[in-house]
This record gives sequence, C-alpha cells and structure tokens, in this order.
Amino acid sequence: MPDFPNGARNRKEGADRHALVRIMEVWRPHAVRLAVGLVLSLLAVMAGLALMSSAGLRFAGAALGVVIVTTASLRLLGISRVALRYSERLFAHDAMFRALATLRVWFFRSLASGAAAGLGFRRAGDLLSRLVSDVEVLDGLYLRILLPLAGACVTFPVLVAVIFRTNPLLAVLVGVLFCASAFVVPLAAARVSRKEGGALNRAQAGLRVGVLDLVGGMREIRAFGAETRMLDRVTSDNDTLLRRQAELSARMAYAGAFSQCCTQLAILLVLTAIAGVGFARIPVVQGIGILFLTLAAFESASGLTRAGMLAGNMGAAARRVVAVAEKQGTPDASVVQSDEMPANFDIRFEDIDFRWQPGRAPVLDNFSLEIPAGSRVALLGSSGAGKSTVAALLLKAAFPQAGRILLGGVDIATLPDTWLRRKIAWLSQATHLFDDTIRNNLLLGAPQATEEALWKALDEAAIGDFVRTLPEQLDTWLGEGGVKVSGGQGRRIALARTLLSDAPVIVLDEPATGLDAQTEQEFFRTLNTVAAHRSVLLIAHRLTGVEKLDRVWRISGGRATAATA
Amino acid sequence: MNESKAAIRAWTRAQARLGLRMARPSIILSVMSCLLAAAQMWCIANILGPALTTLLPLSGAAGVDEPLWPFIGFIAAALLRVAVNITSELSAAAAGRAARRRLRSEVLSAIVGAGPAVLRQAHSGALASLAVDRIEALDGYFSRWAPASVLWIIAPACLLLSVLWAQPRAALILAICGAAVPVAQAVFGVGAAVASRNQFLAMTRLQARFLDRIRGIATIVLSGRADEEALHLSEAAEDLRVRTMKILRIAFLSSASIDCAMIVALIAIAIADGHHALIATSGADRQYLPHFVVDSLFALLIVPEFFAPFRGLALAYQDRALAQGAAAEILALPEPQPLTEGQPVRTVEAHGVTIVFEDVSFTWDASRGPALDHVSFTVPAGETTVLAGPSGSGKSTVMELLLGFIRPDSGRIIFNGADMQTIVPEALAKMTSWIGQRPVLFAGTLRENITFAKPDANVEELAAALRSSAVDRFLSELPDGLETIIGEGGFGLSGGQAQRIAIARAYLKNAPVLLLDEPTAYLDPVTEADVFESLKRLALKRTVILASHSTAVHMFTGRRVDLVHGRVAARQGAA
Repeated sequence: MPDFPNGARNRKEGADRHALVRIMEVWRPHAVRLAVGLVLSLLAVMAGLALMSSAGLRFAGAALGVVIVTTASLRLLGISRVALRYSERLFAHDAMFRALATLRVWFFRSLASGAAAGLGFRRAGDLLSRLVSDVEVLDGLYLRILLPLAGACVTFPVLVAVIFRTNPLLAVLVGVLFCASAFVVPLAAARVSRKEGGALNRAQAGLRVGVLDLVGGMREIRAFGAETRMLDRVTSDNDTLLRRQAELSARMAYAGAFSQCCTQLAILLVLTAIAGVGFARIPVVQGIGILFLTLAAFESASGLTRAGMLAGNMGAAARRVVAVAEKQGTPDASVVQSDEMPANFDIRFEDIDFRWQPGRAPVLDNFSLEIPAGSRVALLGSSGAGKSTVAALLLKAAFPQAGRILLGGVDIATLPDTWLRRKIAWLSQATHLFDDTIRNNLLLGAPQATEEALWKALDEAAIGDFVRTLPEQLDTWLGEGGVKVSGGQGRRIALARTLLSDAPVIVLDEPATGLDAQTEQEFFRTLNTVAAHRSVLLIAHRLTGVEKLDRVWRISGGRATAATA
Repeated sequence: MNESKAAIRAWTRAQARLGLRMARPSIILSVMSCLLAAAQMWCIANILGPALTTLLPLSGAAGVDEPLWPFIGFIAAALLRVAVNITSELSAAAAGRAARRRLRSEVLSAIVGAGPAVLRQAHSGALASLAVDRIEALDGYFSRWAPASVLWIIAPACLLLSVLWAQPRAALILAICGAAVPVAQAVFGVGAAVASRNQFLAMTRLQARFLDRIRGIATIVLSGRADEEALHLSEAAEDLRVRTMKILRIAFLSSASIDCAMIVALIAIAIADGHHALIATSGADRQYLPHFVVDSLFALLIVPEFFAPFRGLALAYQDRALAQGAAAEILALPEPQPLTEGQPVRTVEAHGVTIVFEDVSFTWDASRGPALDHVSFTVPAGETTVLAGPSGSGKSTVMELLLGFIRPDSGRIIFNGADMQTIVPEALAKMTSWIGQRPVLFAGTLRENITFAKPDANVEELAAALRSSAVDRFLSELPDGLETIIGEGGFGLSGGQAQRIAIARAYLKNAPVLLLDEPTAYLDPVTEADVFESLKRLALKRTVILASHSTAVHMFTGRRVDLVHGRVAARQGAA
C-alpha cells in the first residue's frame, strides 16, 4: 500500500483514474444491465421533472380558467414517475450487486494468482480485511456517483432549454447556479476528500492496530497491570479518529450549505423574473412551471455534494483493490509452459539463490538438494535458516533468483501452478482453518474423499478420537481460524487435511508444533506407515528419534549438508 | 433464544432513549428548518398568487403592485434555514460521535474487564472488529435514525397545521395521504421486518465467509483449489445478491409507497383546487379568488416538504437493523467478574512468596469434564517448580488461575498464607511476572515494548534489563536500535528475539513470582537452550512455576509436578 508523497498529486490522480478504468473493465460483462439501470434512472428523473412542472402548470392554468394539462396526462405522469423510480432502483441495485459479485470473484482470482507469493502468505489478515471493506465501498461508485451525476447531466440541458424559451438571461443565471451546485462543489469536495481521506484512513488504521494490540495482548496487559495505560492509548487513537471525522462532517455541512444557497438563489431569481423585478417579466403560467421545474432539478442534484466527498475515499479504495489484485508474483511472465509432464516425482533443487527482498540477506545461497520419488527426507535447521523457504520455492509460492527446481526432470517454472500444487501437499506453518465444519475443512484437499477416508486421515493425524467425542463429530463447526478447538487440535486437523490428499509428495513443515512429546512420537510412528508410497519432506528443527527416514539434511548458511539423525 | 431477543430489544430500547436525548438539539433544529421552509413557501405563494390574479381578464384592478415583503421574507427565511440546517447537521454528527465514543469505551472496558478469558469465547479479530467496525457502523443509528424516528411525526404535523390554517381541504388531502404512508409501511413491512432480520444475519454470514476465504487464500491456492473456491465464492455472492435484493425490494416498495402518496396528494390538490378555482373565476365569490389562489399554491408547494421526513425515516431504517446486529454482539461480551464479597481485600508481604494449591478444581466446559480435578501442591519461596504433562493436562489452566484470569470452582490458591481471591488485583499484578509461548509485541518502538513493564524505568534499569536478557546482543542488527518500530506492520523479529523482549520485561518488572508458560514451545533447540539459560538467571531467588513439556527443562533443578488429565500424577522433590 504505497502512500504517495505529498508532492505527487498528479500521479495519485492518475493512479485513481487507472484504478477506476480497471474496475470498469471488470464490470464490462454487466455493461448492458448497468446501462439499462442508467437509462431507467434518467427516465425517472425526467418523469419527476415533468410531473412537478405539470402539476404547477395545471393549477396555474386552472386559476386562469384554462386547462393546460389534462387530468389524464397528469395521472399518467404520476404513475410513470412512481413506476420508473421503483424499477430504476430495483434494476440499478441488481445490476450493481451483479457487478460487485464479479468484482469480488475477480479480486479473489487475481489475489489467488499472486497470493502464493506475497499476500496471504506473509501479510497480516487485518490488511486483507481492510481490502474486503474496500471492495464494499466500491458499490457507491455506480449508485451514488455515476447515476446521480448522469441525472444531473441530463437535467442541466432540459432546465436551461425550458427557461431559455422564455427568458435567456434567467436561463444562463439558473444554469450557472445549477452547475455550481451539481458539478463544481462536488468536484471540489472530491478533491478535498482525496487529500484528507488519507488522514482519515490512517486514523482508522491507527485505532484498529491499537484495539488489536489491546485485545491480542490482553495477557501481557493483565500480567503487567497496564490496563489503564493501554485503554488511554486506544482512547487517544479514538479521539484522533473522531476529530478527523468531525472535520470531515463540518466540511460536508458547509459544502451542503453552499449548494443549498445555490438552490435558494435560483428560486429567488425565478420569482423576481415572475414578478418582473430586474428581469423582463416572464408569463406567470410558464413562470410557475419553471419554478416547479427548478425546485425538482436542484433537489435531484442535492445528493451530489455528499457523493463528491465519498469520491475521494472511493478512489483510494479502488486504487488499493487494483494495486493488490494486479501485483503478480511471477517474476518472469515469459516462461513458456512445458508440453511434457514429469514422468516421475524425483525432486532436484539445483544451485538455488534466494532472498525475500533485494535489500535483505540471502536465505539460500547456491542451495542444492535431491529428493528421489518415494523417499523420506528430513530437512533440519534452526529458525530462520530457510527451511520453510525451501517448501515455498517447491510450491512456487516464491521464485528463486538463480538456479532451478526440477520435478521428474522438468523445470517447475514451466509447470501449471494448479497441477503442481495438487501433486505436492504442503502443511505450512501458516495453514488456515476455515470458519466451516471439520468435514468441509478436510475436503478442501480432496473433494471426493469418502467418509471412511476422512476418519482414516483423522486417526492418522491422532485427532480421530477427539473428533469422535464431539457431539456433532465431522459436522462440528470450527469457528473463525479454528478457535473452537485448541491450537494443537487445529494443527492436527490441518495435518489430517494434508494426509487426505492423494498427492504423491507431502511436505510437512513443523507438523508437531503444539503437540506434546508423547503425541508427537505417536504421530511420527503413524507417519512411518501412512505415507508409504509417497515422498515425504519433513521440515523440523529437531527429530524425536522415532522417524524412519532415508536421508537427513541440515540447512545452514543457505546450503544443505548431509547429517546423521 | 427468546431471552436473548428480549435482551437485544431492551438494549436497543435503552440506546434509543439515549440516542433521542442526544438527538434533541438536532430534532428541534430540523423542526425549525421545516417551519422556515413553510414560511418560504408562503412567501413564494404570495409572490405567485398576485402575479397570477393580475392576469385574470375579469379582475377589476389590472395593475395590482407586487408586494415587496414576500421577497424580503423569502431571503431572510432562506438565510436562516441554511444556517439552521448547518447547525442541525453538525449537531447530529456530534451526537453520532458522542454515542460511538461512549459505546466504544463501554465495549473496550468490558473486554479489558473480562480479561484474557474472553479470548476463549471469541477470536481477537472478531473482538477488534466489534470494537472498531461494528461501532463505527452504529453512527447512522444515532446521527440519522434517532432524529428521523421522531421527526417523521413532528415535522409533517407542524406542516399539516400550517396548511390547515390556510387551506383546510388541501390539509385533509395531505392528512389522508400522510396517514396512508404508515399503513402502507405496515402492510409491506410487518413480514418484511422479520424477514429482514434473518436476511441481515445471512448477509453478515456471507460477508464473513468472503473474509475467511480471503484470509486463508494461501491455503486454498497451495492446495490447488483456487478455481473451485472462486466458483463457490461466485455462487455465494450470487446468493448474497438474491437475498439482498429481497430486502431491498421491500425497502423500495415502502419508499415507492411514499412516492405514491406524495404524487397522489400533489395531483389531488392540483386537480381539486384547480377545479374550485375554475368555478370561482366564473362564480360570484370572485373577490376571494386571490386569497384562494395564494392558499392553494402554498398547499401545493408544501407537499414535497411534507413527505421528506417519511423518506428520511425509510432511509434510516437499515441503520436500525445494524444496531440490532451490533446489540447481539455487544451483549455477548461477558460481564466483568466481581470481587468475592464479604471478605476483606488485602495485600501480602511481597518478598519470598510461597504459593499453595489447596484442592483446586476448575472446569472450562462441563461437557468435556474438569480441567483441574482436586489439585494440591506447594511451591516454596525462592524455588523453581516444573509443571509437566502432555498438552491438555491442565498446565495452562494452572497458569490462568495464578494470573487471576479465572477463579477456581472449588479449593483455594494461597499466596503467603492469604487466599488469592482476597488480594487486591493490583497487588497481585505487582507480585507476578509472566512469560508465555509467544509474547505479544505491541505496535511501537522496541524501547516502548520493553518499558511497557515499567514505564518510569530509568536508563540504568533499562540497560541492565537489556544486558541480562541478552537483548543487547541483537540490537545492532536492528535498523534503528532501540527505536526500531516492531509489532503490527513493523520490523519482523524472530521467535527467540521476541522471547528475549519478554524476558527483558520481566527483568524490568522485578517481581518475586515468575510464571513461565511453555516459554520455548516455538523455538529450535539451540535457541531454546539459550533462552533457558537467560531464564535460569532470571529465576534466581524468585518463586518460579515453569510449565513445559520440553525435554530441556532438566536444566532447571528443583521440584516437579506431573499433571495428567487434570490430576497430579507424580511429584518429585517435596512438592
């Protein structure tokens, strides 16, 4: 989320525009629906204008003893106004939700294509949740900005043309006021909010971090008696946020007041013209029609100022969503997909160099490793030695700066990601348990697995007995991030999920974290038997001694050296 | 279920009362603005009326002058109205902010008051989103719904009275159309309100699902299931759309009914009064026509103003639904535990603390049996006792009890002869230091994170803590030394480094009791040995309880208590 430096406003605007264009492209499949919604909304606006001015004309004419507008046409206008307004809202919202659904799926897909490399793998969930709400903010783009703006664009010429026939000077003056209220003020509001929106977002992020610290660090806070201190800190974050919001709402109120002034001034001008003060007197019947039209026109544009204030936030949201979605993990897009598929599952790391970021120290330095198909290999090393990086590289969650990785003699860079990931099951340290049932969590790795297979996998992961004691067994809800079970139990369910997949290669990254010594040993004994015909890469900082292994490697200084267990 | 519904209703009612009190200035100002609008319309009618009647071919005096006062009145009312509107909007926004400030501090106090036990019931992310997003979303309830819920009765009533005074027949039409609005709302709304609460829940659930899938996206991608999940997601989003449209259809119907009533009123007044005027122009009571025209124009102009508050109410309706959603979550927060009554609250000698567990039992969840089952042991002052046993045997429960996060169901925990429950929490907090599996690093500098344990620590104390905990060994690797920003979004520290910060905190605090809850669970053996070395130094002359299933605990000489299934299975030493 790079925040642009203050001087680079143009670049920021350019980025906003680019992001909005990108989102429009995503919405293209719904272009017809969105356009129909727009047309309906314009028709509803027109019907509203016609109705108001006809009602005025009807009465004014009647007072003069003439029928200018018939009762029937008035009724027709009334009915069509209500019907159009209803169908417009229904249709426009429906179109918008379809577009939003597409946007979500697009966001998920693009995130998925890059996620393995960066996001999700290394970033905080909180940032992601902000992105989710960013997607939601974008629903205002069509409904609150595009539709009213288009309505104002249609109203403007109608208003000016109708008045122009009776009094050109009045038409120009009212037109200028309408422009100010519907276009100039909202645009200014958008600019201000874009400038200030960043501060508001930062204040909100500050509060969120403060609250997360308070909640997550509750044990520390209690143990050190720091309740008051931490509460004070959050309160001051909260005050900052509220102060920013107060500034924004004050600005909003004054912008709204300005457009109200425009409306009142326009009405005053029409009235003086009717009375013949300062203007060539306009015929009173038309005058009344014009007055009602003016009232309706300015009323329909009154929401635009607020929309302008939102536009800044929306631009920022669009920018963030697009920036994240477009961030691709593949370093070299020109890699050609290989035609040949690996014949076996021998794995070879050849002279790999890798660092997470250009400025940081290399994690792997001329690293080579061989895992013949069907063998069981352990990779040991202290924290930060690069053990997990090896797994990430193998799954194409990260890409080496030099060297290559071969699977059955084929460079994995040329293999389709999905295919590769279905052949290599990885239990990572950051494995996520979904807010779903145990069954659905298990089925993620193998959607076709039978009930029997599920229980077998659970037993192998030494968690089957626990699940049997639960009242709802496999249909027990795990809760957000698996909170309904303990850390160790959740870890074992994740392990069962990994064992359940029929992948010929299994990568287990610290599978015993959170297990006590006895359970750990039992688990490794089961592992010796269950993964019989598969390759196993066991990543750990130590061995328990019960594992049956073909080779043990130790990783240090970015290289693997043979070690005895 | 019913009870919780009743609780939610009671909560929303209490909030509504508070909201109304705060919204009072905004309501009064809005009514003023409404009356000013009526005055403006009266001025407009008095400008248009004479202009219209001068045109009448049959009127006697052809050259009636336009009166000047309506212009002046119009301008004055306009300026006043703009000012009143600004004030009203600002005051509504201020009420929304005040309510959020109040609710947020209530929620945070409830969370802090309940202590770490609350984390067993709810995810920290969920709690944070309650305290931040949910309460943020309540803004509309206080700034929009509260005033709108009163205005929709008062404002139309005021306007109706003014029309009644000018044009009784138009007032009757307005009254009938106005009364039709709540009736129509009831017809569309009764079933809808029930449906929408359920729909609202479904919507929240689907949103949560999207968030959950995004959080676990790496797991999905690395299982090669991204396409399937995208498909599921689009189905869920489609479902969300269908459900949302169901709610919106009702909302739009209700606002269409307002539109309808307004247009009927407009047309009825235009036609009826037009008809009347038509008769009058040719009839005998022609001299009353100018007055009649002014009154009717006024009635016609007031129609949109009359219906605006109804629309405001319909728009604010979803803010109410949001409040009900939040109520359920806020009410789910546990009540803070009261101190045991009837016993004197006291402090104990804070040097050389002996801790005794006397027949202590504790149950987290009745269906899973007791976590601690009549556990007794003694930890002598200044010695280290190792608490061993497989995971789930009750070690963490012992720690939570000692920290005062939970209380024994039966039995006593005794600190230097005093029942722990009779000691003031502040004194207890001063007595104990605690190091857990993974210390929480707060967003801030490394210095702030260490002095967290003792904000008024001086330079020498800090330097000593850094040295004793071996934090100074990795300081040079950090970009800004002690001022490096760590925690959320900051520089990433390794597990061993984080644990050293926890040790530094404990050194700074210098408490006589030290509780170590699996401090090396996430460390590799080399780092573990290193950290244990530091802990051994820290443990000197303190009363230490070390819970661990690591084999490296043999570094600590002393007593040992083995827990199995919540019972003491074995003791070594004289524990």
